[in-house]
Amino acid sequence: MLKYAIRRMIFVLPTLWAVVTFVFFLIRIVPGGPAVAALGSYATEESIRELEKQMGLDKPILMQYGIFLKDLCRGDLGKSLITNKPISQEISRALPYTLDLAIGGMIIGILFGIPTGIITALRRNRPPDYIGRILSLVGISMPEFYLGILLMYVLAIKLPLFPVLGGGDLSNLSSRLYHLFLPALTLGIIMTAFISRMVRSSMLNVLREDYVRTAKAKGLHERVVIYKHALRNALIPTVTVIGIYMSILMGGSVLTEIIFSRPGLGKMMVFAVKDRDYIALQSVIIIFSAFVFLFNLITDLLYSIIDPRIEYH
Amino acid sequence: MKGGKYFLIFLVALVSVGICLFSTAFAQEKVVRMALKASDIRSLDPHYGTTTIDYACIDPMFNGLVRFKPEDINPEKIEPDLAERWEHSKDGLVWTFYLRKGVKFHKGYGELTAEDVKFSLEKAANKATSGFAADYSALAKVEALDKYTVRLSFKSAIPSVLGILTNYHGGYIVSKKAVEEKGDKFKLDPIGTGPFMLKDYVPKEKVVEVRNPDYFRGKPKLDRIELWFMPDASSREMAYRKGEIDIVEGEREQAWVKKMREIPGTAIEIFGPGETLVLHFNLTKKPLDDIRVRQAICHAINIEELMKFLGPDVTTKLVSVIPMDYLGGTDKVPKYEFNPEKAKKLLAEAGYPKGFEMSMVITEMSDYRRPMEQVQEQLRRVGINLKMDVIAHSAFHSQIRKDVNPLVLYVCARFPTADPILTQFYYSKSIVGTPTAITNFSHYNKIDDLIEKARVEIDSKKQKALWTEAQKKILEDAVALPLCITKFVFARKTNVDLGYEMRSTLTLVTTIKETTDVRK
Amino acid sequence: MSISQREILIRTFKSNKTSVVGLFMAFGVVIIALIAPWISPYDPIAQDMNIQHGPPGWAHPFGTDSYGRDQFSRILWGSRVSLVVGILSVLFAMAAGIPLGMLGGYKGGRIDNLVLRFIDIFMSFPIVILGLLVLAIMGPGLIKIVIAIGVALTPRIARLARGSTLSVKGKEYIEAARAVGQRDWKIMLIHVLPNIFGEILVMGTLWVATAIIVEASLSFIGLGVRPPTPSWGAMIRDGLDQLTNAPWLSIFPGLAIFTSVFAFNLIADGLRDISDPKLRG
Repeated sequence: MLKYAIRRMIFVLPTLWAVVTFVFFLIRIVPGGPAVAALGSYATEESIRELEKQMGLDKPILMQYGIFLKDLCRGDLGKSLITNKPISQEISRALPYTLDLAIGGMIIGILFGIPTGIITALRRNRPPDYIGRILSLVGISMPEFYLGILLMYVLAIKLPLFPVLGGGDLSNLSSRLYHLFLPALTLGIIMTAFISRMVRSSMLNVLREDYVRTAKAKGLHERVVIYKHALRNALIPTVTVIGIYMSILMGGSVLTEIIFSRPGLGKMMVFAVKDRDYIALQSVIIIFSAFVFLFNLITDLLYSIIDPRIEYH
Repeated sequence: MKGGKYFLIFLVALVSVGICLFSTAFAQEKVVRMALKASDIRSLDPHYGTTTIDYACIDPMFNGLVRFKPEDINPEKIEPDLAERWEHSKDGLVWTFYLRKGVKFHKGYGELTAEDVKFSLEKAANKATSGFAADYSALAKVEALDKYTVRLSFKSAIPSVLGILTNYHGGYIVSKKAVEEKGDKFKLDPIGTGPFMLKDYVPKEKVVEVRNPDYFRGKPKLDRIELWFMPDASSREMAYRKGEIDIVEGEREQAWVKKMREIPGTAIEIFGPGETLVLHFNLTKKPLDDIRVRQAICHAINIEELMKFLGPDVTTKLVSVIPMDYLGGTDKVPKYEFNPEKAKKLLAEAGYPKGFEMSMVITEMSDYRRPMEQVQEQLRRVGINLKMDVIAHSAFHSQIRKDVNPLVLYVCARFPTADPILTQFYYSKSIVGTPTAITNFSHYNKIDDLIEKARVEIDSKKQKALWTEAQKKILEDAVALPLCITKFVFARKTNVDLGYEMRSTLTLVTTIKETTDVRK
Repeated sequence: MSISQREILIRTFKSNKTSVVGLFMAFGVVIIALIAPWISPYDPIAQDMNIQHGPPGWAHPFGTDSYGRDQFSRILWGSRVSLVVGILSVLFAMAAGIPLGMLGGYKGGRIDNLVLRFIDIFMSFPIVILGLLVLAIMGPGLIKIVIAIGVALTPRIARLARGSTLSVKGKEYIEAARAVGQRDWKIMLIHVLPNIFGEILVMGTLWVATAIIVEASLSFIGLGVRPPTPSWGAMIRDGLDQLTNAPWLSIFPGLAIFTSVFAFNLIADGLRDISDPKLRG
């Protein structure tokens, strides 16, 4: 298993490198160069050159790239064009808020999505199924920021049950969770919808197979065993898909953080775009991608754990 | 008997412990949390802070030689601050200030001496270390005569010496030792003499300041103040409603005032001097180089509709680029009445019978954007199509200074005399894109002589006449169209007592002073 | 599309009620988008300061915003932006992604590896984030949003096309064509493409739904079309400031987005229920 993990990680590295390179060059093809874009057209030659020197843009591009990679390996993500402070500081401050949100949303999604998926699969084409399917369809059709606004309006404004903004104090667990609830619920509801659909369709797949049909005819005890088996098999594609769903979650966190004013990576990214702080943008996107890769890796590993056991059944 | 004595002592101890525990349960910190409409500070170095959020953070941490009576920018009410008293020579060129003794800088940086004042003023007057050096161009030298006496010598007489020494911009006094020690880091770790000192700065989130127990006017009533950055109007409002914020910067619109007034326990502070909303025309961008086109735009804009949108509580009329209540303000200037037919006629005369298109950038900040969206609509009605790209506030400010826009809607407040505005917006040396640029977006250069003469004019009647002439020309040449004045709007929980009467302030916010208190 | 696929499609709609409902709804949205200029009671950008923040009523069924503009008209017009962006960006992604995916799936080997690499790289960005990145560089504007979202969707469509190509690759008619000596690109065009198109169309409707949400998200952030053009996402954002005194300003545009997306999701669900052989059993 460990060998597999290492093999996978090595496989992932070139892609990660490619992503990093892609972002690096993309930032630099901004018309006029990122310094001009940050300062605006008609900027005085002096100020452009000053900023370019600061960004290290006056060197030949391959050299810049080399320096960039070297810094990256050292963990130096550069300095923000606006605050001139190291970005890694800002990122490490913001990261927990985004991770909390992604993980929280995922937990809620799994907690409610799997049972819903199972129930709708088992009670196919009967009322619970219809209700479940409509609800999940509603869930995936909701823009997450709209759902966030609705939840905020009902649960934080009309009924002042929850705080409206901020991330709370990270060191204080109750404050942390209290501020996490609504944003996580927003993403969690959407995740529930996605996951329940996924679970439902994989369960239906498995349940259709012949041996399951025969088992149904045979009797309760066998049925329970087979259903358990079906569930396990159905969960495999779900696990596979978690990696993709984490990607959706990370994307959804951007808007949710804006609505609830959570000081996370997503909010940082949007502000970097608006402030034209290209160095910050570059670094945040790299970190984001790194996490997506990490989640995909974890998913792959989980898959490889679950898979061999089932094979031998 | 002995046992009884011990028992008594024990009882007393128990009771005292109980009282202590009891009172700590009640002795909460006195905190005021203010939310401002900004995403981050630019600098906490008072000689560089120019935005509202900078002022809000800087003002509680610093003093000037003199100060405005809190909070009223009437220059006649200037009173002593770090200087106890002062005198000046007959010709007004030499001023001597006698400092208060025993004023301490924050965090153990020692006592305020004349050396600090000398250092601070020299820093403020130096282009390399201050954004306000131009204000001190007439300052020849500063001498520390002894530990508590400072002498200022001027090259020429200026309209208001006390004005540049108040608790504002370059007048804030910084600690020489701290600046020399921290260098560049002073910007985010400043040391002053004010009632509060910096505790923490979280980028893009907040600044936290704690009480300076040695403040020379007495121990501040509050333990702590938190200044939160919340550019989003809805977030600010929510936070206020939920009690997470005590004072909130408002939107300068009637709808906002109305909505907030309805929240129980709320006091609305609307105060001056207000910011002028002026539309500047870039004379170098076609077709604005044709005066008829500019005049057409002036006639197409319905100021009444604009003021209705912003609201009667929040706006006052503005007929000239200098407000009436500024020194030098006047209403004897040409006025462009709202007349869309005339506008269309002028456009046709200039060769644009069907109107024309223009591209520009506008900031997403509502104070600028929302009036501009109205202007956009009003101009559309006469055939002028404005394509507006909405960009971030900081990007907007840097772009307009790079001469990108044909029209610039600018919102500003300045020291209440005519000179700063005329110099910064209508003086040829201030033209954007030049080495000495300030904010002359229009590239106007026809009143240089009037501005220069007025600056050194001793006779106040003649000075006012020169300023009036300058303003007349600006409007005759349709260089800029004054729209209105919007006052500052804040909402405050009634249990927060500012400790002074909020009339008008150059810091543009309800500043926290040592007298500010919060009741339970 | 091959005959059997067409048959399946027709059978789907005949028997599957949900997708028919979805189809009608989507049709409705498209029609609205087409005739919005004629059925809007008011000019969507005309301002009237006398009726700021008006609640929903007879004259203005969805209320008025801060500039006194009629929300109902703005929502009708907003459908144009959402649909144009939604559909065009998916078409863009299909035009770019299908050839890419087909190439990789059919040719295999090194080319396939390259394609897979490309897909992996771009898939590591959530769609909104890639859209953000592209817009940060290109600036705001309708065409640019189409490109931004299109670029973000391309790898996903490419992956789909590749998968379908792989499953079709082994079929007899492909073998036959190859045996006869037909050129690769001809095979791909004439034999592969028609047979994978059905599946891709199904997913295409799903991606339209996603694209609409992404456009709304980007507009909400403030990177959308220029004001005063109505866009549902931007309307929600403007309405957010008035959430406590005029909540309808955010609620109705959100419902509009939801309805359109729901419609496309219904269609996609229906199509998938029928055409996915794995679920057929």
